[in-house]
Amino acid sequence: MFEPILLKNINTADSHRIDVYLKNEGYKALSSALKMQPDTIIQTLKDSGLRGRGGAGFSTGLKWSFITKDPTIAKYLCCNADEGEPGTFKDRAIIEKDPHELIEGMIIACYAIGAAAAYIYIRGEFAFGANRLEEALSEAYQKGFLGKNILGSDFNCDIYVHRGAGAYICGEETALLESIEGRRGQPRIKPPFPAQVGLFGKPTVINNVETLACVPHIINKGAKWFASIGPEKSPGPKIFGVSGHVKKPGLYELPMGTTAREVIYTHAGGIRDNRKLKAFIPGGVSAPMLIEKDLDTPMDFDSLAAKGTMLGSAAVMVMDDTTCIVKVAMRTMEFFRHESCGKCTPCREGTDWTYKALRRIESRQGKNGDIELLDRLCGNIFGRTFCPLGDGAVMALRGALKNFRDEFEFHVKNKRCMV
Amino acid sequence: MGNEFVGDKPRRYITQNSELITIFIMATVKINGKEITVEDGTLILDAARQAGFEIPTFCYQARLSRLGSCRMCLVEIAGQKKLQPSCVTPVLHGMEIFTQNETVKTARASMLEFLLANHPLDCPTCDKGGECELQDLTFKYGPRQSPFAERKRRFHEKDEILSPVIVKNHNRCIHCERCVRICDEAVGAKALGGIGRGAMLKETSFLNKELDCDHCGNCIEVCPVGSFMSLPYRYKSRPWDLVETDTVCPFCATGCQLTIGTRNGSVLRVRSKIETGINKETLCARGRFGYDFIQSEKRLTKPMAKKNGRLTECSWEEAISQAKNKLSSAKKIAGIASARLTNEELYLFQKLMRNVFRTNNIDSGSRWTDKRTTDALINACNLSEGGTSIFEALKADLIFIIGSSISDENPITDYLIRTTAADKRKNLILAYPRRIKLDSSATISLKHTPGSEDIVISGILNALQNQAVKTDGSQVSESDIATIAQRMKTASTISIFLGTDSLRFANGKEMLLGIANLAKALKASGKNIKVMPLLDRCNQRGAWDMGVHPSFLPGYKKTNSDGMDCTGILEASSKGEMDAIYIIGEDIVSMYPDAKFAKEALSKAGFIIVQDMFLTETAKMADIVLPGASYAEKEGTWTNQEGRLQRLRRALQPIKAAREDLSILSSIGGFEYKSARDVFEEIRKEAPGYQDISFDSLNNTGVLVKGHGAEKQGSRGQGVKGSSETKINPSNPRTLEPSNPYLDDYPFLLITGNHLFHSGRLSQKADVLKRLLPESFVEISDKDAAALGIKEGDRVIVKGKHHEAVLRVRVKQGSLKGTAFIPENFEDVPVNCFFKKGEGIPRVKISKQ
Amino acid sequence: MNLLKKIFFIDFIKGLSLTFKYNVSRTITMRYPDEEKWLPYQRFRGLHTLNRDSQGRELCVACELCAKVCPTQCITVIPMEDVGTDLKSVPRGISDRIAKVYEINLVRCLFCGFCEDACPTTAIRMGRDYELACFTLDCAIADKKKLLTPRDIPAEFEGGFVVKAKFIRNDEGIKVKPDLSKKKRWW
Repeated sequence: MFEPILLKNINTADSHRIDVYLKNEGYKALSSALKMQPDTIIQTLKDSGLRGRGGAGFSTGLKWSFITKDPTIAKYLCCNADEGEPGTFKDRAIIEKDPHELIEGMIIACYAIGAAAAYIYIRGEFAFGANRLEEALSEAYQKGFLGKNILGSDFNCDIYVHRGAGAYICGEETALLESIEGRRGQPRIKPPFPAQVGLFGKPTVINNVETLACVPHIINKGAKWFASIGPEKSPGPKIFGVSGHVKKPGLYELPMGTTAREVIYTHAGGIRDNRKLKAFIPGGVSAPMLIEKDLDTPMDFDSLAAKGTMLGSAAVMVMDDTTCIVKVAMRTMEFFRHESCGKCTPCREGTDWTYKALRRIESRQGKNGDIELLDRLCGNIFGRTFCPLGDGAVMALRGALKNFRDEFEFHVKNKRCMV
Repeated sequence: MGNEFVGDKPRRYITQNSELITIFIMATVKINGKEITVEDGTLILDAARQAGFEIPTFCYQARLSRLGSCRMCLVEIAGQKKLQPSCVTPVLHGMEIFTQNETVKTARASMLEFLLANHPLDCPTCDKGGECELQDLTFKYGPRQSPFAERKRRFHEKDEILSPVIVKNHNRCIHCERCVRICDEAVGAKALGGIGRGAMLKETSFLNKELDCDHCGNCIEVCPVGSFMSLPYRYKSRPWDLVETDTVCPFCATGCQLTIGTRNGSVLRVRSKIETGINKETLCARGRFGYDFIQSEKRLTKPMAKKNGRLTECSWEEAISQAKNKLSSAKKIAGIASARLTNEELYLFQKLMRNVFRTNNIDSGSRWTDKRTTDALINACNLSEGGTSIFEALKADLIFIIGSSISDENPITDYLIRTTAADKRKNLILAYPRRIKLDSSATISLKHTPGSEDIVISGILNALQNQAVKTDGSQVSESDIATIAQRMKTASTISIFLGTDSLRFANGKEMLLGIANLAKALKASGKNIKVMPLLDRCNQRGAWDMGVHPSFLPGYKKTNSDGMDCTGILEASSKGEMDAIYIIGEDIVSMYPDAKFAKEALSKAGFIIVQDMFLTETAKMADIVLPGASYAEKEGTWTNQEGRLQRLRRALQPIKAAREDLSILSSIGGFEYKSARDVFEEIRKEAPGYQDISFDSLNNTGVLVKGHGAEKQGSRGQGVKGSSETKINPSNPRTLEPSNPYLDDYPFLLITGNHLFHSGRLSQKADVLKRLLPESFVEISDKDAAALGIKEGDRVIVKGKHHEAVLRVRVKQGSLKGTAFIPENFEDVPVNCFFKKGEGIPRVKISKQ
Repeated sequence: MNLLKKIFFIDFIKGLSLTFKYNVSRTITMRYPDEEKWLPYQRFRGLHTLNRDSQGRELCVACELCAKVCPTQCITVIPMEDVGTDLKSVPRGISDRIAKVYEINLVRCLFCGFCEDACPTTAIRMGRDYELACFTLDCAIADKKKLLTPRDIPAEFEGGFVVKAKFIRNDEGIKVKPDLSKKKRWW
């Protein structure tokens, strides 16, 4: 049985209190990090092979190393806690149950990149989490882990909590920056990348909560230990949020590369009522769905990419054979249509009209040619949008169309649902 | 440290000594198989257009920030999986780009299909129909049918009226955000933004409420579809019905190019063309909507002569012969011409007065005090040395603006400066007592006591020369002055913009001499200095160039004997010495800064001839009134504040029996000029700066006037030179009215000038502008308002020593305490009644009604 | 045989029989304009009409496409905003935009029907009035009021008949008013 690393404290009473955290060797990593050179920390991160847990899976150490070393230029760290991907609830657990793990990781990250200020962009709906974070921050300030001259060093750091206003798009890193700056949450043009011109025009690193929570453990136990967990190319522990038609939905921290079968059947207790698995989404709704024969795929970045899907936020959504895939596709598209920021044409209009076409098929008014229309719309959106939101919407629909085209055709032809 | 990035332009580097250097690297790219070498960092779009390939766009506009959202400009780059938006992607050396292959074509068509999916096809009732970019591009690139069956999204059935001039139809919006960006980046009003998201996104005013903005209508102009529309032009015509004439805006001296659209002899709209003129598609409210004065019912349409003490209509022959007789028989005569006339008319006016009626008593404008001050301005700005392009001036490292409420007086200059100041490396220093819109872009904004500009300038001069700085009486902190001096020291090029407040205040002369000295001192330290005037009348500079000035002939040649300036003329008249005064287009009674004196003086004049478009207060006192023509009804040229000569073109014939001013002047003087072109030929001979310019080749960009070379001839105004040598003692600036007896009784200094929606009294005749600002107001600072317990919109009594008025209050956050502002434009609140000749800036008391 | 034919005037009788047959058949002389009038088919292109919708609102939105497409440029349209739309009064047109001036110069019109094709709201239709003669050139200009007046022959009325009619001659011109109830085939 894999011993949880990131979630090891969450079942402890008052785990969000700094006293409890300190008892479990809390802030030990910070004091050892402050004795290291920032470059050494970045190198350690690179050696550990930690890849971003937000979805794209970019090497964290590499991301940090892009930041200029010029001490005259202000830099920022942003923690992306805008956990908006449907089915995902891993960051929430860390924020609410173990906020100091995140804060410690952030202070180390700030030290490594030379930032004096960091922002936690937290999803607006996480009011409880935001309050927990504020409390935790004030505790950390009291204990001298934040503020001026942290732990006697000459390193200063401040962390601010910024609550979002309820937009999925603000999980996109540049839209997140716009939102922190007080503007409308819309993605920015890349290049320049945030590592060059980010928050307030300054170099900025944006990391996911889970990524930053890994940092203290890497500092404590070393890069080699971390790299030894899971597959070589994407090592480390991963929190899988399993939801849907399983017996025991919930968060399961497992090594990267655990197979989907193990996640669903061993840990989540299998499908409810022992029904048949119809499909599962491996990483949030933007990830194309997989079917039963893909159950033995290891859940890591590269293996899933080879299957044409992605690990994303590792939110595993399980659907049994009572699920209508057309309805799933419609509800997914409805979500993207609602969350499209409206900036670029293909995403704004594309998600809207794709949803309308799916609704037509679902409500038994489909016409011949509607599925071809969906194919064409996917092609017109994919790769042409400003940010990955449009691509995500299309990938989800394409996944459904690829595996369950017959079900769509049945809907159009027989004007009723297959299940 | 090595070279670091600055912004997103990889061509600019900062070296270790924090100097900015620009490195030009050329890149060779292949576009559709055609090789082209461009500067590295050029956008693919620009490179393709240079190579002669067209790429359609919606959200891209050269002067706005890059958005890259419409995705119309997608191109294929060899080796890249995704299509790239060419309007935000710079070229890289060796790139191979395809702009016309099938993939790109289908992508374009699909974008149009998406845009049209929610765009209502109400082209028949849309004002934009016929000049709509979406229409044009759909015809060129678009699909011919739509695969979508569902209802389009519809926000509303009736268009939303956002302001007295702006209508919005959200259904038609394609979200290119040009309106948002122009409002934010050029106009600086920040009045528009997005509400909602996805397909329900609306670009509109705050909370979709009525706009409280500059009402400039630039959002209408940049809108590619009919989402923003002009209310005055609404449902009046179709674009193809309009006869469009390019001409120049008459409302300030920025000299914006505009296009008048007429249908069957009536003016229906004014618009600006993209990338045309110095305004580059922007106009302000008065330029864009202030056209209806041209066909106002109040226009004078027939000549009038005074019979039995009343003005009655008469024939042209009668009026002209009477005017001619009176002017030639009078012993002592004088002439005042408006700086809104064309160069040709002004030239002819001074020729008429000087050669036919033998007098040098001519002046242009009656809004300020004496000719020594205007001479000092002419000298400080080196007007005789020819024009300086504003774009050259804006390249300076430091821009210093003093004495102008530039956002109100010269809105387009304000836009140009705002766009420039977006570059954070530039210093913009603004000195003006009121808070104005440009303050938000300024690095330093000084709020000095009105009339203490000379103290500020001598302070800067002292600081530059490392002497003690004293700013007593100006309410400016010495540290600010020191910072400004420090920044001036580090800048290598400096542009000083000098406003007309220098001509309005009693100590304007000192200020102008100070500026001249400052420029001299900075020049001596090896800096490149440009002094630019900011003028309020469209052809003020032209009037001086043409010699409508008591001591200059055309081309700033000195006259043999100086004549009287406006004040001198009025003084002589008040003594009963003036036998005849010929006034063209100038409303002396309403504009001269002492209404009572001006009225009395004119009433004692022997004979007054007024030539104007409207029956002004001055015209009511005239013996003969001659109806003149508006800017849309004449040919000619104007010289703007930069010294740029631009051509006016006739859009209509003069209203009813009114005549062009040129032909009236010709008939009075017995000249035989057939057209403005003939007069211009003569100007070319008389004013050396105009010599090389041909009337017919004047296009939309205009031509900068060259130096008049008056200095070389040794005949440049001695008065000017002499006065510049009377150096003010910089270490001992005068104190500001120390023994002013009313200081406590009248705590406010009253400043005046044009409001953003008005220019002189001319724009008062435009009904649309009157709708934007129906009544006058008094503007005070928030601190004063709090101290007096006055709220915005309250009615207050503004009491001066000589006049009082009841006005509504506007509270301006950040204005200087103890200043009150009343616009000079309103007929019912003649602000010049507060003034008394020789007293300087009037003081007033403000109390609750 | 030929002889027999000659003796009995066969050809003559044959010819006369046709004559007598027509003598008893229906007359084809149309007593136009005094008593009868030919009603053209629906495809006929006569004097234009401006139509209204079922609620009586003007269909014309003054888009000026008819004026633009007209080969002889005989149509003048000046639009305006339909301001009579306060809560009580019924809007005059189907949209905010309505024609202030709508004039067709009938002297220049060549009845090609392009305006009909260009109209996006089916507001302008070629009618079936063909008596356009008048005494002054003024009446040759059909203004909006005239074009909006309902015609004697409704659009849905099938044409191709002769009907009873009444000849009217007054200051405006001449007109033959048909009585649609009494129709007959011409032949």
